[in-house]
Amino acid sequence: MTHLPTYGEVPGAPVGEMSRRSFMRRIFWVGAGILSIEFLAGTLNFLWPNVRSGLGGKFTIGTAADIASTQPTWTQGQPFGFSKARVFFINVPASEALVGGSNETVADPGANVLALYRKCPHLGCNIPPLCDKSHWFECLCHGSKYNIIGEKRAGPAPRGMDRFAVTVTDGVYGIDTSAIVAGPPIGTATFDPRDTTTIPHCAA
Amino acid sequence: MTIEKRPNATADKNAPTQAPRVPAVERDRGPKLPGPPGVPGTERFRLLAYVKQESMVRVDKRPDETVLTWPHLLRAEFLMALLISVLLVVASVFIHAPLEEMANAGVTPHVAKAPWYFLGLQELLSYFNATVGGVLLPTLYLVGLAVIPYIDRSPYKAARDRKTAWVFFMSLMLGGLLITLIGSFFRGPGWNWVWPWDGIYFTL
Amino acid sequence: MTFPGPGDLMRVVRESSVWRSLFRQPYPTTSRTRALAVMNNVFLHLHPVRVKKHAVRYTYTFCLGGVSFFLFLVLTVTGVYLMFFYVPSVTRAYQDILSIENSVAFGTFVRNMHRWGAHLMVLTVFLHMIRVFYHGAYKPPREFNWVIGVVLLFCTLWLSFTGYLLPWDQIAFWAITVGTQMATYAPLLSRESSFILLGGVEVGQGTLIRFYVMHVIAFPLIVAILLVVHFWRIRKDGGVSGPV
Repeated sequence: MTHLPTYGEVPGAPVGEMSRRSFMRRIFWVGAGILSIEFLAGTLNFLWPNVRSGLGGKFTIGTAADIASTQPTWTQGQPFGFSKARVFFINVPASEALVGGSNETVADPGANVLALYRKCPHLGCNIPPLCDKSHWFECLCHGSKYNIIGEKRAGPAPRGMDRFAVTVTDGVYGIDTSAIVAGPPIGTATFDPRDTTTIPHCAA
Repeated sequence: MTIEKRPNATADKNAPTQAPRVPAVERDRGPKLPGPPGVPGTERFRLLAYVKQESMVRVDKRPDETVLTWPHLLRAEFLMALLISVLLVVASVFIHAPLEEMANAGVTPHVAKAPWYFLGLQELLSYFNATVGGVLLPTLYLVGLAVIPYIDRSPYKAARDRKTAWVFFMSLMLGGLLITLIGSFFRGPGWNWVWPWDGIYFTL
Repeated sequence: MTFPGPGDLMRVVRESSVWRSLFRQPYPTTSRTRALAVMNNVFLHLHPVRVKKHAVRYTYTFCLGGVSFFLFLVLTVTGVYLMFFYVPSVTRAYQDILSIENSVAFGTFVRNMHRWGAHLMVLTVFLHMIRVFYHGAYKPPREFNWVIGVVLLFCTLWLSFTGYLLPWDQIAFWAITVGTQMATYAPLLSRESSFILLGGVEVGQGTLIRFYVMHVIAFPLIVAILLVVHFWRIRKDGGVSGPV
């Protein structure tokens, strides 16, 4: 079959050479591509949340004495619920003593504290206050369980409780909620490795 | 389609005043075609010989295969819209949309479920590790749906001619339905199994 | 002397230049004028003049695509009504829903209709997809229209999900918390995607306004554009796919 010229066919450059037309076309598409990428990046940048207040900012809790005056049981190891930052503020040495069964009190743990984020890393439910039966944090939503320093013990959660960085300046505790520190991976058992079946629970 | 020449004052003077009577059978045969040069007797073969039997049948049937959009399709659409409207109005008058107390980030209800179409996904999350159940499977599901036409290249359309594809697709759909139903009606506080007659934890 | 009756009035109206500029042909009563009506009307010309017989049968398509589109229209209209009374603020949203329920005329009715229509639409879109698969209607040349359909399915789910948060009650708050937490399981950029989606670390004012904008304008626009392409391709590929 012979090749018949199509109506409106544009004569092209010789084979192996780039015509001015195709060069211009290529330049156009490259430009359009670059512009699209810029547009996308600009949009993402535009939509990036500008968190000034509430969770995402910095909070000041106060000194250990301030906390103890608000909640005296904090020195005996009970977590201090700091609702503004949605954290459990843990007095680590006192808490370990509490789980261990001794009545030792720690008035000022220094930097040995933890700010555990109350949002369950499983599906985001609010973790209720410490379960008195097991001395674990037990999420009622889907039954994830964590020991008092936020390591995962049971349930469907993918890791331990997330936490925020704590700063101590002149004995005053501050919490920076702008960055969430992911909880320790499953299997981390630096403390309280009790078996879930041997102790009573609050959550099923 | 043929365009018949109509008798016309400006037509060729030599043309007969009346169109020659051609029997319908002769007209339908199409024009006589010239045969290969130098082969006597072949110039009389008819276009009919090239036309397959089925397509002739279809050509004959064509007028019966379609109906006018106005009124047939428009009537069907109107009746369906009417039916849906009545259904919606009746439902909206008698069944009220759920509304609970105001949102409170500090209090997680005993049962925290996603909207019903995500309950299958939530159920999957309780079986698999989070990345697989929460991301990999749903992404695979959507992408898998999208690429179906590029994978299934068989020319058959009827479900009876492609049983494998149909069974595969329907088992995916019914599997999705099953886990959605389980997540909706068989899961209660703590995502534990609850029979529907022991309590339904489901809001639309 | 006879007095002009309503028929005469109608005749005068019909013969007026205003009427004839609105309707360029008399009410179609013949096949020819009916064909012209479908061809010349911008809304009707979504359809071809003639359709295949099987396409009109309820038991072939069950009108599932059409019903989904109709529900989209119902949701648009009821949604606009609701927007008159709703402010997407964490302090006002819940109170606004209560006032829609208690003091707006037909407020409960419109909210119910919006809610049930939305759930029904998710259902009909799924069923439409199953129907299309059953008839193999995604076969060439309709492959890409199926892909558009899958994107539309995703958009439908997303519209429903974003709307779910707006009443700002406990069901809404925790359903969205649980739903968006699933996004953080992504292996890459999980925290970032959840942060930009929620407009913050967790569900709050930033989330409400984001979901509101996506729900009332961004995604309805995207869906409308995709629907145009979806319908156009069906039309160009010869309407509802052939009987099997």
